Amino acid sequence: MKRPAICFFVWVAIVGWAATGHAKKGGGKAAAPAAAADQPADSSAGGGDSGDQKAAPADDAKPAAGGKAGGAAAAPSESLEAEEGQPAKVEEDIGGGPKVVRPSSTLSWSDIVVVPRKRFLKGGRFEFQPFTGMSVNDSLIRHYVFGADLNFYLTDVFWIGVQGQYFLKQLTNQEELVGLEYNRAPTLNKYLYGGSLNFGYVPLYGKFALFNRSIMHWEMWASAGVGVTITKVIPRDPANDSLAFQNTDLTPNVGIGSRFFLFDWLTVNFALRDYIVPDKFEPINDGAAAGITTADQAKANAHSALVNNLMFYVGAGIYLPTKFQYKTPR
Amino acid sequence: MNLNADLNLQATRRSTKDKPMNMKPNCGHRRSRLSALLVALALTAVPLAAQAQRKSPLADAPAIRKRFELRATRLEVGAGFGTTLNQDFYHTMFLNLKIGFHITDWLSLSAFGGFAVANIATTFQNDLVNSLYAADMGQPPNEPLRDAAKASMQKISSILGAQLEFTPFTGKYSLAGKMFANYDFYVFGGPGLLNVAPTDGSSLTDCGSVMAAPPTASGGPGGPFSCKVSGAKFGANFGVGLHSYFNEWMALNVELRDIMAQLNPSGRDNNGDGVANANDLTWSHTFMVTANIVFYLPSTASISP
Repeated sequence: MKRPAICFFVWVAIVGWAATGHAKKGGGKAAAPAAAADQPADSSAGGGDSGDQKAAPADDAKPAAGGKAGGAAAAPSESLEAEEGQPAKVEEDIGGGPKVVRPSSTLSWSDIVVVPRKRFLKGGRFEFQPFTGMSVNDSLIRHYVFGADLNFYLTDVFWIGVQGQYFLKQLTNQEELVGLEYNRAPTLNKYLYGGSLNFGYVPLYGKFALFNRSIMHWEMWASAGVGVTITKVIPRDPANDSLAFQNTDLTPNVGIGSRFFLFDWLTVNFALRDYIVPDKFEPINDGAAAGITTADQAKANAHSALVNNLMFYVGAGIYLPTKFQYKTPR
Repeated sequence: MNLNADLNLQATRRSTKDKPMNMKPNCGHRRSRLSALLVALALTAVPLAAQAQRKSPLADAPAIRKRFELRATRLEVGAGFGTTLNQDFYHTMFLNLKIGFHITDWLSLSAFGGFAVANIATTFQNDLVNSLYAADMGQPPNEPLRDAAKASMQKISSILGAQLEFTPFTGKYSLAGKMFANYDFYVFGGPGLLNVAPTDGSSLTDCGSVMAAPPTASGGPGGPFSCKVSGAKFGANFGVGLHSYFNEWMALNVELRDIMAQLNPSGRDNNGDGVANANDLTWSHTFMVTANIVFYLPSTASISP
């Protein structure tokens, strides 16, 4: 009889502890909307922050106004697991008397979480981002790109990373029309490979609701870096293919982009980057007419131009480690 | 009731100590353990079952309560600037006007007009024109002189359109954690038109009334190799946009627009039939980006439940 009694006691203790924890968590959720509904709407930016509180469970929440009518209140509690939409926790009297909701005596207005903590933390994590993209600003030649970024986040808003990319070219209709309309062949280079060292900063963080049904968090970043781009001449006359030469161009770049947070380890990323390429092109004069017989001679007679290669990217950011932990209570 | 002997602690201890190692458990003890187990299981299972049946109170709730409905049943008027993005020969700068009515918070009807204030030659145009001869050097008949090439290049004088706007995304952002603003993203579509004219149409024949010249002495096409593309070109207008609100009644409105219409930006023969005429018009994309400051009436927004 003794062992069952001990077992039963232990079981009761465990169940009681678990039930208390559950009640605490549930109590916080039920009480939060009452506090949210009691807040005045923010008129400065429209849709004020109080308007971002999560919805009130109608059957659980007790209106704050109704709860102001005297009576004893349970001791307030504070949880580190505060979630969006829970600006301050209050607990209700579950006795027979009138329901009372009383905010914590230790909290003040400055403790109200106007902007809940971020959905996603990046500081100290690696981001591996395979991407694809295309050039957007050259009407004569289009480049498609495949590559990857490997970034390390020094903090949640600063990162340093390396990028590698491989290009595929496609001549556009306009390139053909130049010959048909003006009897001219454009001087063009194609990109082969590229690599860069980039730094990034996240100045803008936001969230949006889809038809007021679900909320997604995102951020916008700005980045700059420097690297190299390997380019190669496309001869105007295919017979001059042996005169085509390659360039290794020092390439600064600047860009902006955004991340949409899907899971703790996955984002969908969009970016627009401008690569400033000081490139060398095929000499204006035809190779044979100018007495050029080798690619080195062609390169020595090449004309230079600064090219802005604007690329649009879409990629998936995979974060390692795949989980993160909040270090502050909010 | 010999079980009462268990109340005698001394007797119990002694009897337990004296029991052989292979003794079988007492039947009474087995029953009481079983009962305790059943009670424990029942007490655990009943609340769990009740919880499983309970529907989340947040199941049907909106994501945001007390939300400012910054668009619903409000008039939007604004003005700003814009530019084309992908024209071959000119960047066109516009002065924009826009007016719209938001039927709901996510659906609106708008009209806009963009009126060209400048047409800036592109680098491509400069490079191309400079590669041509200024005077006749005996070049092929389809190779124009500089002035002739430039004369037929198309300029946009205005863009007009109407659009239905669909706003599924609304939210807020913070800039460096300090400044907060509401915003929305939308997509739109509707009819549009481009008013176009050649750079210098004085010596050109309208593309719709071009008569092919007789072949050259060598039997090649006699042209003409350029014509005047002008007037209103109707087509489709679609794109994406965003509002970033400064307050309840004023916002920055940015739109990325594509107007599809039948154009011939060079005004030259581009289908290889040896004559420039209406057959050389092709469906073309004209991308443009605009930035407007827009104002909302009434000046205060309603608040959702």
